[in-house]
Amino acid sequence: MDRLRALLPSARGDRIRWGLAALLAVTILLVPNLAQVAENAFPDSVSARFAIFLASQALVLGLWATSFNLMLGYTGMVSFAHAAYYGIGAYTVAIIAHNYHQNAVYGLLAAPLVAGAFGFVTGLIALRAVRLYFSLLTLAISQLLFTIAFEWYDFTGGDNGIHNLVIPDWLSDQTTIYYFIAAVTALCLLLMFIVVRSPFGAALLAIRENRQRASSVGLSVKAYELAIYTIAGLFAGVAGGLYAIYDLQAYPQLLYWTTNAQPVVIALLGGTGSFLGPVLGAVIYTYLQNFVGKNYPNEFDIVLGAIVLGVVLIAPGGFVSLPDFFLRLRSRFRRRPEDERVELVESAGQAMAALEVSRAVASSAVQVDPGAAEPAGPDQRATLLKVNGLSKSFGGLVAVRDVSLNVKQGDRHAIIGPNGAGKSTLFNLITGRLKPSAGSVEFDGRTITGWADYRIARAGIGRAFQITNIFPRLSVRQNVQYSMLAYRKVTIRPFGFADRIFREEASDLLESVGLGRYAELAAGQLSHGDQRALELAISIALGSKLLLLDEPTAGMSPYETQKAMELVRRLATERGLTLLFCEHDMNVVFGTAQTVTVMHLGRVLTEGSPQQVRNNPDVQRIYLGELEASA
Amino acid sequence: MDVGNLVLFFLAGLSIAAVLFIVTAGLSLVFGALRVINMAHGSLYMIGAFVSWFVIVHLANALFGFWAALLVAPLITAIIGAVVEIFVLKPVYGKEHLLQLLGTYALTLIFAGLVRKVFGADVRSISAPAALNSSVPIFGHGFSVYQLFLIAVAVLVAAGLYLLLNRTGLGRNIRAAISDPQLLSTTGVNVTRLFTIVFMIGTALAGLGGVLVSPTSSVDPGMDSNVLINAFAISVIGGLGSLVGSLVGAVIVGLILSFGFAYPPTAHYAIAFVFAAMVIVLTIRPWGLFGRAEQ
Repeated sequence: MDRLRALLPSARGDRIRWGLAALLAVTILLVPNLAQVAENAFPDSVSARFAIFLASQALVLGLWATSFNLMLGYTGMVSFAHAAYYGIGAYTVAIIAHNYHQNAVYGLLAAPLVAGAFGFVTGLIALRAVRLYFSLLTLAISQLLFTIAFEWYDFTGGDNGIHNLVIPDWLSDQTTIYYFIAAVTALCLLLMFIVVRSPFGAALLAIRENRQRASSVGLSVKAYELAIYTIAGLFAGVAGGLYAIYDLQAYPQLLYWTTNAQPVVIALLGGTGSFLGPVLGAVIYTYLQNFVGKNYPNEFDIVLGAIVLGVVLIAPGGFVSLPDFFLRLRSRFRRRPEDERVELVESAGQAMAALEVSRAVASSAVQVDPGAAEPAGPDQRATLLKVNGLSKSFGGLVAVRDVSLNVKQGDRHAIIGPNGAGKSTLFNLITGRLKPSAGSVEFDGRTITGWADYRIARAGIGRAFQITNIFPRLSVRQNVQYSMLAYRKVTIRPFGFADRIFREEASDLLESVGLGRYAELAAGQLSHGDQRALELAISIALGSKLLLLDEPTAGMSPYETQKAMELVRRLATERGLTLLFCEHDMNVVFGTAQTVTVMHLGRVLTEGSPQQVRNNPDVQRIYLGELEASA
Repeated sequence: MDVGNLVLFFLAGLSIAAVLFIVTAGLSLVFGALRVINMAHGSLYMIGAFVSWFVIVHLANALFGFWAALLVAPLITAIIGAVVEIFVLKPVYGKEHLLQLLGTYALTLIFAGLVRKVFGADVRSISAPAALNSSVPIFGHGFSVYQLFLIAVAVLVAAGLYLLLNRTGLGRNIRAAISDPQLLSTTGVNVTRLFTIVFMIGTALAGLGGVLVSPTSSVDPGMDSNVLINAFAISVIGGLGSLVGSLVGAVIVGLILSFGFAYPPTAHYAIAFVFAAMVIVLTIRPWGLFGRAEQ
């Protein structure tokens, strides 16, 4: 719960954060003056020069850690190779200045390109694997790059590295370097901020939340991961280049995997859920390094480890989530009207009750009498889905045998049959989870047999309700909005504010599924029934024409079942959706379906209107037969 | 290079592989059952080596000290393992895998700091126990008996793990946990305790590796990351969670290191060859030679 809150900060917490950011910016601008004032006041203990040097260090570390957080915080990738790109940036500046006797500032221009190129190539290899394997692979890549830097004496200076870099005269003054670094850092932070708030950034958040769901809304997960890995490497290169300019050296230890502890600690310290968190973390880290690390060098690692451990175990939101933490603490003692909405959903039961009322109001307006209010019978309509002689066998077991099925445009078509009839397999064949052994599937005039699942999803076949499949830590609105972005291929755009695109459309959609009042809550906080409503909304946002529902009311109480099916019927009518669902609850089937297909042992037994099927003696026999068999 | 040299480098490679197998087996077993990558595994190996040094130099005499260390160090690392599992891992099970990575990563920093604080940053060395501190002639060259001993211990550990997993009730539960921990908990097995025990076995193997390696290499505060990198490379090559994979991977890495170091031109890049092998395997089989594809 804490984690959910940390990632969806309250409006007031946001204001405090913006205040902190402004304060940080002013402080950064005033550092040289403050340092001078401090030196004048305490000439024995403070050196302005050293203070400015430390401030430069904090800025560079902040930039580096922010680039690391593009992966850790925004995409959910743990890379142990980020130090390598930082080191490559430093070496680029050092080699251009030292080996080729060029202006070090040119090196700084080259650093992001070189580091980005290394990031792209090594990322291609590392992203062959996912999650843990990806992390291990980045470790290996980082060691490989370290070994090269360490052993290639002629080019990198081997284990000594390259020292005493010459930088242009106009940069040699400590204060000038500081402002130079501050300007470059600010520019990079601005660029990264634009990226994370863009539709591209929205795709990253979706991937972090639910890789599988992200791919089923049509995102090519690997391509996005490679892109952000490269971008992060590029900005790490800038940070490393700046490091070489203020510290005038580059050495192999910069690339070593333990150096990676720095961005990890800094990002966690400041908070991975916040954009400026790592910058704040860098300030704290620089302080720790110079005051704890200097006096207690052996204890410094222990302190760093304890901080990381503490953050992991106690406050995954990090330092920046503290405003929300305090606000939460306060609201426990003082109840204010604006806190009420949050309090309301504290209890799932209350939320449920509130929702029922809103639904009852909404659905009474569009009360649909199933089967009666249709303008034309389904028979006169065009065929939307045509399944032809579809078969699937697993080894010797034939799960689906020669099934043919026509689903008409706008129909509500149920598939029933005893357990093992092949209903779920048929659904998996239609949605592309399984490849058919024989037969064909046509949808909307196109043959989609054997297509990959994300392509079928894009073509307009949505699947909902089987397992709850949402982005739990994004807001309810973002779930819908980002799905729209992905479906309409806006997510390749690395600029513009994702949260402002399709906002109204998303709100309307949420309103129509009865989730309007919960738009700003984390989706994971919704009740089970509401999460299913959200899934429906996502399917609609993805432009689905045909919705496949696999046992939509499994695990629901009779009351919930009634409400959920009312919602489904209403949406189908309002939005012209076609439904294909399988269900065991015969009340649901006969209350909703206009056409019923009965399957038995992998075959189609019969098909017809609910009335025809109900009166079919064969159907009665297989259901009764099953009852006898199980009795 | 003549045949005798080849055989020697081959044996030397196997003795490197022996220690790496024991360490990686622990890492892999833990991953298989708990789905946790223990970043601090190398730290426990380092602690094993330092405990071994301490026991030999300060507690027992050089004659019996090694054998005492062989018992004491794995015991201590197993106890540390229990503490880590209960206080650090249990709270993060079932959460995002990055919290597990970061949590155990934090432990590597803490252990590194503690070892440096307690023992200092000096490099130490220990000699092999008297009974094993000799060499036997192989193809006209002398080969260390201790290195043969390492190979023998690795074979024993492999056999022991095989028997443990396939012939005991505990092993049956561990194998069940590897295939489906949730199902296992519904059958009345105390999965919480089982996880602690598995983690203790894993860290005991890390400690054992630390003791075994101490007479053949220096004992210093940088050992943790060196072995961890190799163990990762092996588990990635062989496949995480597979003991056979650990064995095959260890032999591959051991031989690459041994032959890589053998020639002056390649000696500097021996480690790089290991990673090259890793990259090749992963490019073809992203889940390792004997691993299972993860969803």
